[in-house]
Amino acid sequence: MEKLIQTIILGLLIGGVYSLMASGLTLIFGVMNIINVAHGAFLVLSALVTWEIWKTTGMDPLLAGLITTPMMFVFGWVVYKLFLQRIRNSAPSMTVLLTFGLALVLEGGMGIVTRNVFRSVTPSYFSSSFHLGPFFLPKPQVYGCIAAITFMVLLYLGLTRTWTGRAIRASSQNLSSAQLIGISSTSVAALTFAVAAATTGFGGSILSVLFTFFPASHYVWISRLLGIIVLGGMGSLPGVVIGALALGIAETMTATYISLRWATVVFYVVILAVLLVRPQGILGVKLRQDVAVA
Amino acid sequence: MKAIEEVTGTRFKPVWIVALLALAALIAFPLLQPDDIYRQNVLFQTFLLAVGAISWNIVSGFTGYVSLGQSAFLGIGAYTVAIISIRNGLDPFLVAPLGGLAAALVALVIGLIVMRTRGHAFVIITIALLLLFQTIGLNLGSLTGGSNGLTLPLPQWNVDYQNFPFYYSMLGIMVITHLFSMWIRRTKFGTGLIAIREDEQKAGGIGIHTTRYKVSAFIASAVFMGIAGGIYAYYLTFIDPRGMFDILVSVSIVLAVLVGGRGSIWGPIVGAFIVQPLNEATNVYAKGSQSRLVFFGGALMAVVLFMPDGIVTTITRFFRDRRRRGRGVASLVQDAISTERPKLTVLRDQEADPSSALLRVEGASKAFGGLQAVDACSFEVRQGTITGLIGPNGSGKTTMFNLITGMMTPDSGEIEFRGRRIEGLHAWDRAHLGLGRTYQITRLFRQMTVLENVIAPLSEFRWRQLGADGMHGPEKDKALELLNYVGMGKFGEERAGDLSFGQQKLVELAQVLMLEPRLVLLDEPAGGINPVLIERLAGLIQDLNQQGITFLLVEHNMPLVLKLCDPVIVVARGSRLAEGHPDEIRRNPLVLDAYLGEGSDDDELEPEAAG
Repeated sequence: MEKLIQTIILGLLIGGVYSLMASGLTLIFGVMNIINVAHGAFLVLSALVTWEIWKTTGMDPLLAGLITTPMMFVFGWVVYKLFLQRIRNSAPSMTVLLTFGLALVLEGGMGIVTRNVFRSVTPSYFSSSFHLGPFFLPKPQVYGCIAAITFMVLLYLGLTRTWTGRAIRASSQNLSSAQLIGISSTSVAALTFAVAAATTGFGGSILSVLFTFFPASHYVWISRLLGIIVLGGMGSLPGVVIGALALGIAETMTATYISLRWATVVFYVVILAVLLVRPQGILGVKLRQDVAVA
Repeated sequence: MKAIEEVTGTRFKPVWIVALLALAALIAFPLLQPDDIYRQNVLFQTFLLAVGAISWNIVSGFTGYVSLGQSAFLGIGAYTVAIISIRNGLDPFLVAPLGGLAAALVALVIGLIVMRTRGHAFVIITIALLLLFQTIGLNLGSLTGGSNGLTLPLPQWNVDYQNFPFYYSMLGIMVITHLFSMWIRRTKFGTGLIAIREDEQKAGGIGIHTTRYKVSAFIASAVFMGIAGGIYAYYLTFIDPRGMFDILVSVSIVLAVLVGGRGSIWGPIVGAFIVQPLNEATNVYAKGSQSRLVFFGGALMAVVLFMPDGIVTTITRFFRDRRRRGRGVASLVQDAISTERPKLTVLRDQEADPSSALLRVEGASKAFGGLQAVDACSFEVRQGTITGLIGPNGSGKTTMFNLITGMMTPDSGEIEFRGRRIEGLHAWDRAHLGLGRTYQITRLFRQMTVLENVIAPLSEFRWRQLGADGMHGPEKDKALELLNYVGMGKFGEERAGDLSFGQQKLVELAQVLMLEPRLVLLDEPAGGINPVLIERLAGLIQDLNQQGITFLLVEHNMPLVLKLCDPVIVVARGSRLAEGHPDEIRRNPLVLDAYLGEGSDDDELEPEAAG
């Protein structure tokens, strides 16, 4: 029983971090109907930058998130303007191929610039834990989860309390109506993409402490995040939190009770099962184009 | 040469001279340059990539389902052949066909599942499957050797033969795969696949069993990939999950097809011969796998951004446009529509009993969220009539059509056609029963020619029919007869998307007639076309009706309805308001109310606010 509760605690902590990482992916999908397959590579890029900052200055990795966040914001904006804006009217499969190409370029680029080895950021609290009765809460997980939740709350406030945020949400709910009331769809799209990339900035900084990573880790990450947003409902922000917590628990359970090797399979199976049984996910709106008439 | 023409059904074209010369050069190369092992190996890899590209083109080019999991079939073929030949001490060449079989079986099983999704979901699911296969391969060590991989026996043949057996067998598979793909494109199966790519829902409505078609296409894209995988494993003598279920292999396949031209016949093979040598060049000049990633990723982005149609498609388009310029656009103007109306020979005998109800709708309802589009609606369409269905905008007429043809499922109620309950049937099953429809905004397959559009419908499903020649023989004669009947015989070779709206309506009617329908639903046939053409359409409808076809007509053009239809059914707010002879309907106070908007329960509505 204690083992079970401990597993769930760890699952929830990691799920909180996942929800921040996946929020950008779902936001992009909701507003511009694009799946950014390079989202995982964005995360790894930010983790790598955090590692460099930590290595050279000794700055706390979570504090470094305050640098990587604006950095990834700008990066996301540039990526949108350079590439995605040109094909925003193409078939969805083309945007998937484009962002997949971008992920490969980033993976290769990171491998060339830094040596292609496993890294992880190990601040002083790296291997210590808080103790709560018989249970332990690893400090990096706790700090990471708190930081992620803080960032999510700020994001949520930004989306609901500002005009820009409302424009983004309006575009995600009904793009043509949003255009009719004077929202410029291209600038909203660029902004959304930048904001979503900014979440990978902070998310990547957290990642660098919690996980070892190397350039090709982005495959694992994009699979995780896709599993989460597919389960929660693509385009839904509350859905992301539910999906992230559920899959965080499922992953730690598999790792604890079955084998660490099969833990990542959970995400592939979830993606397959959800897309087949309930393609709109838990909280998503049913998209007719994603279901064949069979 | 004759043999090729027979297999592919194409007339001899200059492209064949180039292709045969190239093939001769590839056959001769190892014999003339036996010491150039490096180039032979590059060519072997190129053939392998071409097999993958041609196969992928069947499911992603013809059918329009973009997959990033194509290399999974390579891996499955490779592992099947490796495991069987190692355990039984068999020659991998003999076992290679089993690799194809295994890939086909896997394609059947996962095809039945993944073909239910499309768009984003389909791409994601294929990536997930590939990574899943890789993880399974890594974790099932007892079968696959895990990350240590499997080592196959070394080839036993005389060293003088070098790698010739690998080279020629892969070249042979490439040629066979290519001929197979050409053959598919010429069959009714191939036409059906293109129809699915262009408009899947419509394809179902004209009798194409889309599920079986898509799964068959998936299998067709797996077989040769699996065989090639077996030979590739033997060639490598060592395989491991990371190399065999490699997403980069999928990416290079996608890249080759996009560069060459997705959906075209020659594109994939041309693309493979461009991409693989470039890939080799990056291997030689930019050392390391990291720069290959940058190359592949960058090339994929560049192709998607700047050349999404590919080389072959761009070139063929150029020549087609030039040909057309010479001929001028005269044939596309309205005058060319023939006004003759030859007698039809192709319609099936209609059931006699004129008084019986051909279609019966009983209490059908359909809601979209809070909007009750169709509300417990009941009516009948009697055999041999032209029944009109009229009602104000938003009264649920098109939704009713969608319920009848199977594009939507009713929330409740019964729909009966020829005495059979059909509300639970697939659209294609209803089409096979003899139910056809046209659309308010025409939905022809725009990239197909007019003739192909008319050939595409299927009045029944038989597995044998998949292989039937789609471009020649009785099917073509039948389609031409129907095109002549509607007056569009001269337009057979035009692209459907180039026609005017009115012409498209005529073609769509011919397309529906190809189903040999008993009941045709016409959704606003006169909407948006000129009066002369309306007259002509009315004449066609009356003529077809006399030949036994029953019509249900939604129309806002009242003179036309009153002229053609008897009885006329009036619907308002999703249910039947009145039914009767046109003259009664014209005088019915309820109907006038509905049209003028003075609803009896809307007392606050001022008269001047109406209609």
